[in-house]
Amino acid sequence: MDDVATKIIEILKKHMKEPRDDINLSTALTDLKIESLDLAMIVFDIEDAFGIEIPYNANEEAGDFKTVGSVVDKVKGLAAGAPAGAKA
Amino acid sequence: MSSSKDGRRVVITGTGVVTPIGLDVPEFWTSIKAGKCGVSELGGFPLEDLKILIAAQIKNFDHKARLRHFKRDKIIMHADRYSWFAAAAADEAVKQAGLEVPFVDPYRTACIVGSGAGGLVTFEKSYRDLFIENKRATHPLTLLRIIGSSAAAHVGIEFGVKGPTFATCSACSTATHAIGAARDYIKHGMVDVAIAGASESVINYGTMKAWQALHVLSPEGCFPFAKKRNGTVLGEGAGILVLESLEHAQARGAKILAELVGYGMTSDAKDMVNPDIEGPSEAMRLALEDAGLAPGDIDYLNAHGTATLINDRNETNAIKRVFGSYANKLPVSSTKSMHGHPLGAGGGIEAVACIKAMEEGILPPTIGLDEADAECDLDYVPNVARPKKLNYVMSNSFAFGGLNAVIVLGPPPA
Repeated sequence: MDDVATKIIEILKKHMKEPRDDINLSTALTDLKIESLDLAMIVFDIEDAFGIEIPYNANEEAGDFKTVGSVVDKVKGLAAGAPAGAKA
Repeated sequence: MSSSKDGRRVVITGTGVVTPIGLDVPEFWTSIKAGKCGVSELGGFPLEDLKILIAAQIKNFDHKARLRHFKRDKIIMHADRYSWFAAAAADEAVKQAGLEVPFVDPYRTACIVGSGAGGLVTFEKSYRDLFIENKRATHPLTLLRIIGSSAAAHVGIEFGVKGPTFATCSACSTATHAIGAARDYIKHGMVDVAIAGASESVINYGTMKAWQALHVLSPEGCFPFAKKRNGTVLGEGAGILVLESLEHAQARGAKILAELVGYGMTSDAKDMVNPDIEGPSEAMRLALEDAGLAPGDIDYLNAHGTATLINDRNETNAIKRVFGSYANKLPVSSTKSMHGHPLGAGGGIEAVACIKAMEEGILPPTIGLDEADAECDLDYVPNVARPKKLNYVMSNSFAFGGLNAVIVLGPPPA
């Protein structure tokens, strides 16, 4: 796993009541028992860590965030200045 | 307001506090009996240009340890400090009451936990982040931390209260209004059990500046009724009671600590800062009438006693108006001399002091009272706790805006 993935997994673990050591890119976020408020805090920490802004609305299904890998891809895209970047 | 005789009797079966002189009721009460002062050097944040450099801060509260066993409320650890105080005090009160949680009849239970100002520490931090640190966003939980009803909600979630749940807000009378409202809900049969009181934690740079600008804080200490008094001292904490209908408490064999026999409330409707004699004295009179007691039945009065020049004189005169010549025989003390002025939480903490005073037959002292003001000439139980058998006690809360609330407590029904 690269630095981005390692950092994101570290942030996920910080927000889990019982952090697990078997999280990998294919782990589904639903398996981590992350609830809506946890997700808001995770997004906040990821934004801080990578200096990006993640377009995300708690009222919508989090389609881009099904697995750890999908979060890593999204963050890499945003960090590279892909659509909906930091100044959105 | 109708008399207690017209409704169900309401008793207290649980007490909880978090204060600068004790993080739970036993430690708090030991400090009160010893006349311990909770005022210390202000700290914990940059003091910058502050001129008032003392406060009654709680400096050793470990929310992680104290609330570790919380199960139902998943984000209590992320809450504002004022909610932590409320949660800890409510937990102590519910445990003492021996109530099963979540409550067996959750819709017949109320959770009325007020706060004078809500999460002001979070508020200031988020504005510092935005306006000084130029952060791009506030923490995601900022809003939930700030709102003045979050403590009530946190407590309600943890204990599974599904009946009336809200916060009261009446500055320094907040807790007493919460306790009074809970009393009335039980008395009139809406609920059988209530968690009620208030919590406050507002000591930060902005709050100190705002209070400083009002020129009512003392740079030296909180000396109620003393000639040398020159203002109040900000405090923080929580005071929470468990109230029940008498029959509910008896049916489950609960240990009854006291009966809430009277409640009176008035508003001066006159001035935002200068108290009136009529409003406070009428609130005391109504509380006595509600309790069906005569002035001479009261054995101890826990004063609002903020140590501002005007409050202590005005309260003394209001007491004289209600109690007449008996005022000279009535012991009156201000525990704020020890725990500072915890604003909205005051009435809750002071109600607990009253209940312990009745239980042990000990009058809490007013410390720092070396020489009384000539216009404050009652028996303020100066400096040293004193034994006295107490049947009925009164507790005053008078707030900015002229919002007055008074309760009368009596012995556990035989």
